[in-house]
Parts: sequence; structure tokens; C-alpha cells
Amino acid sequence: MRENLKELWKFRELLFAMVERELRIRYKNSFLGFFWSLLNPLVTVAVMTLVFKYLLANQTDSFSAYILAAYLPFMFFNMALLDSAQSVLVALPVVKKVYFPREILPLAAVISNFIHLALAMVVFLVYLFVVWGVNGFQGFPFTWRLGFLPFLLVIYLALTTGLAFIISALNVFYEDVKYIISVLLYLLFFLTPIMYFSETVWYALKDRPSGELVYTLYHLNPIAMMATAFRKVLVQPGDIEVKSGAESIMVGSLPFNWGLFGVTCLVSLFLLVYGYHVFNKLKWRFVERP
Amino acid sequence: MSETLIEIRGLKKEFLLSHTGAASLKTMLLWWKKRELEHLQVLKGVDLDIHRGECVALVGRNGAGKSTLLSLVSRIYKPTSGTIQVKARMAPLLELGAGFHPDLTGLENILFNGMILGLTRKEVLERTPQIVEFSELGSHIDTPVRTYSSGMMARLGFSIAVHVDAEILIVDEVLAVGDYAFEKKCYDFIDGFRAKGGTILFVSHNPESVLRVADRCVWLQSGLVKEDGDPSTVLASYQAAGADR
Repeated sequence: MRENLKELWKFRELLFAMVERELRIRYKNSFLGFFWSLLNPLVTVAVMTLVFKYLLANQTDSFSAYILAAYLPFMFFNMALLDSAQSVLVALPVVKKVYFPREILPLAAVISNFIHLALAMVVFLVYLFVVWGVNGFQGFPFTWRLGFLPFLLVIYLALTTGLAFIISALNVFYEDVKYIISVLLYLLFFLTPIMYFSETVWYALKDRPSGELVYTLYHLNPIAMMATAFRKVLVQPGDIEVKSGAESIMVGSLPFNWGLFGVTCLVSLFLLVYGYHVFNKLKWRFVERP
Repeated sequence: MSETLIEIRGLKKEFLLSHTGAASLKTMLLWWKKRELEHLQVLKGVDLDIHRGECVALVGRNGAGKSTLLSLVSRIYKPTSGTIQVKARMAPLLELGAGFHPDLTGLENILFNGMILGLTRKEVLERTPQIVEFSELGSHIDTPVRTYSSGMMARLGFSIAVHVDAEILIVDEVLAVGDYAFEKKCYDFIDGFRAKGGTILFVSHNPESVLRVADRCVWLQSGLVKEDGDPSTVLASYQAAGADR
């Protein structure tokens, strides 16, 4: 592994050039460029807010902010995995002709999407600031927890990169992988607290037999845990409307579960190392796939 | 004899050949079908030394292992056994714009392709004017590559490759690109490259180009070196063997 990392470091300029190329290609033929990648989450969140706040009459404070805080990172995860799944396969004609560390291909897909996430996060923080101004400067939106944001982003990047290594390598040999991944990502969206809250899950489960166990299992999914973590860091906690039994009640947000978050961090780091290992084992066989 | 730049010892390469066609999950689920995979020995122990300043032509019938040997030298494949040592900067001459992105302009593709061939960003930027000039693309350089004809693409690809300043040039049958004038330019470049002491390893099915540029010829037959030496002698026995068939 150390040899491979050394080689990758030697080719770091090529990696940067490839990231630049990915960004360029995406916006080459469109007039509004980066605006498009912001428009998608904004429209989605506007519709979600409309549905939940007005059609389903949910009373939760700053609903849009809550959804955005979880949806933006999920979009990154989604796009990065779908892009990287194809990354090695589409580059195969070059891979068959020139030597360069193959891991650059999925890495460039992940990093270019990560740059989008970083920009979207900046826009999101500006949005919170503007909302604060519109509301007459009441309840400053940022807390000391915002300091954790870079840490969360790094963990999320490690998690995504690890999975991207595995998926991009497998997709070379079994092209079904990308279809399976897109279905799994769609299902994962519903198994992640994006349109609802981890509090919703807790109050729905807590009185049921082995409800606590299910709650824990639910949060062993790193993506679910990260969605909650991003919300804690980005949004000032307010009251959330949840269903408990037959009635709806307003509750404060639950304290952050550091234990489960620790598990997520360890799983992410493990996936990064393991994914790189798998990729390196398979990369020499890309050109001679049966 | 001058310094050895490429040293190949006991090189063997084996491929797994599947009869089921494209890879899919089906092949994984039907894992017992692996027995149907055929082991194909393409190279069966090749020893070869290439020295500085030589221009070596590889000849042989289809499937003799010429391209596999070039790929192994370029580190595309890992040898099944044996060793290859390359002691100088090496650049492959890419096929018709492999690695070009159709939506990017010629200029943008130069940067990326140059870097993939091992130049730093700074080096590519320094050489871009010469590359554009050599390619004779003129104002087309600012239009997306998807609008290029195949000849234009090949010219751009060739221009990038020759400006990498490699000491060893790996060429897999691409010299017949572009029009007559450009072909002449390529041969002129190769003559100049050789005059400066550059080393070339190339595959060709065209006896004229072998005799024109090579000063050594290696005949590969079913994965082994059959004959190695002066181009006219080796070509003569290669062609005699072909006529027998």
C-alpha cells in the first residue's frame, strides 16, 4: 500500500488536471454552469418543504434548513458513487494504452463532486444568514458546533472514497454493479433521515418491543448517522413535530449519540483503507477483463 | 555496444480467455464455469535487450504477441513471470486520439494528454505553441475535438506524443496517419529523433516502413523470438515463412 501511495503522490498533478477536466466537461455546454447543480437541490427542497410543511402540516421550525443540511451531503454521496462507478470503464481505451495510477480515475470523480458539495455548503450558510436577516436578526443561526463541519466533511469524504474504489473496480468486471448501486442509493434515500428526523424514528420506536435495538441498527448505517450529524452542526436546534402513538407532539432535538458517531468514523476509515486495498488488487486486471 | 535501455528477461504473459463473452454478474454467479476459461499463453519466455539509439521493428503474424510485448513494456500489463527493466523516459504513441475528450477543445486536450504521457503542467504549457504548430491545426485548435476529422485527431495525438521528449518511443502501427505531407513530416521527425540518439520500438506490418526506419528487426513467432538481426535478412526469412503457408 505504501508503494501505491508513493506512486499516487508522484502523479498528483495528473489528478488535479483530471478534476479540473471533470468540472470543465460538466459545464462546457451549459450557459448557467454551477447554478444548475445548485438549482437541483434547491427545487427538490422547495417541493419537499411545501409537501411537509403545508400539505402534511408539519409544525417543525426551519424545515427547509433541516432538509437541506441532510440532502446536500446525500446528493454528493449519490453523485460521487454513480460517477465513479463508470469512471474506470469509460477511460478503458486510455487505460489500455498509457500507464498512470488507475486510482486517479475514481478519485477524480469523487473529488470533483466534493468540490460541488463544498460550494453548495457555502451557499447554504449564506442562505441561513439571509433568512436570519429576513426574520429581523432574531436567533443567530450559527453555533460553535459549526467548527465540526470540516471534520464531518473529511469523514464523509473518506467513506465515499472507500466505496467509490470498490464500486469502480467491480464495475469494470460486472457491469451490473452500476444498476445495483443506483437502486441501492434510491432505497438508501428513504432509509436516511432526510425527509424526516432521527427524532421521528426514536418516538415512533421507543415504546415498541426492541425499539431501541432497531433505532441503534438504523444508525449503524453510516449515511443515516452522518445525515443527523450534519443537521446538528449546521442547524440551530428547534422544536420538531413527531408522531408518538396516535398523537403529534412537539419535542426538542435529542442529544447527539457520540458512541454511534464513533462507530461511523471507524467504519468510514476502515472502508477507505479496505476499498483502496481492493482497488489495488484488481487494478492490474482491468485491461485483461474477460 | 551502447547502454541497454530496455532489458527483458524470461518474459511470460498468460491471459484468461472467456468464451461466455462480456463480463457480467452472471459470470460471477456461475463461478463453476470458470473451468471453461482457457489459458492463453501469448508470450512464452522472451529475452530481449534494446540499446540506446536503436530503432527496433517487431514483426510477426497476428497473435504472435507483438502488441502484448509493447503493452508490457509500457506497464499496461503485469508480466505473469519474468522481468522488464526500462531505464529511460518512455512515451507511447497513442492511437487516433485515445484519451481525447470530444467536448473539450484541442488546446484543452493537449494539456490533459500531455500530462497523462508524463509531463508536468508547466512543461506542457511551455510546449503547447510548438505542439499546435506541429499539428498544423491552426484555428481548429480552439474548437471541440468532436468536430475533428480522424486525420486531424491523429495529427494532434502525434504532435503531443513527439513533444513529450521521451528517450524511448513506443509505436504500435500508427505511422500511416494523415495525408502524404504529414506522413513525410512524421518520418522526418523520426529521422531527427534517431539522429539525436532516440530509441524506437515499433510494430509494423508494412515491410517498406520497416526497411525505411528500422536498423534491427525482431521476428516474434507464437510468443517466442524466432529471429533477431538486420532488417533485410529477418524480413526475408519472415516473408519466406509466410509464403510457405
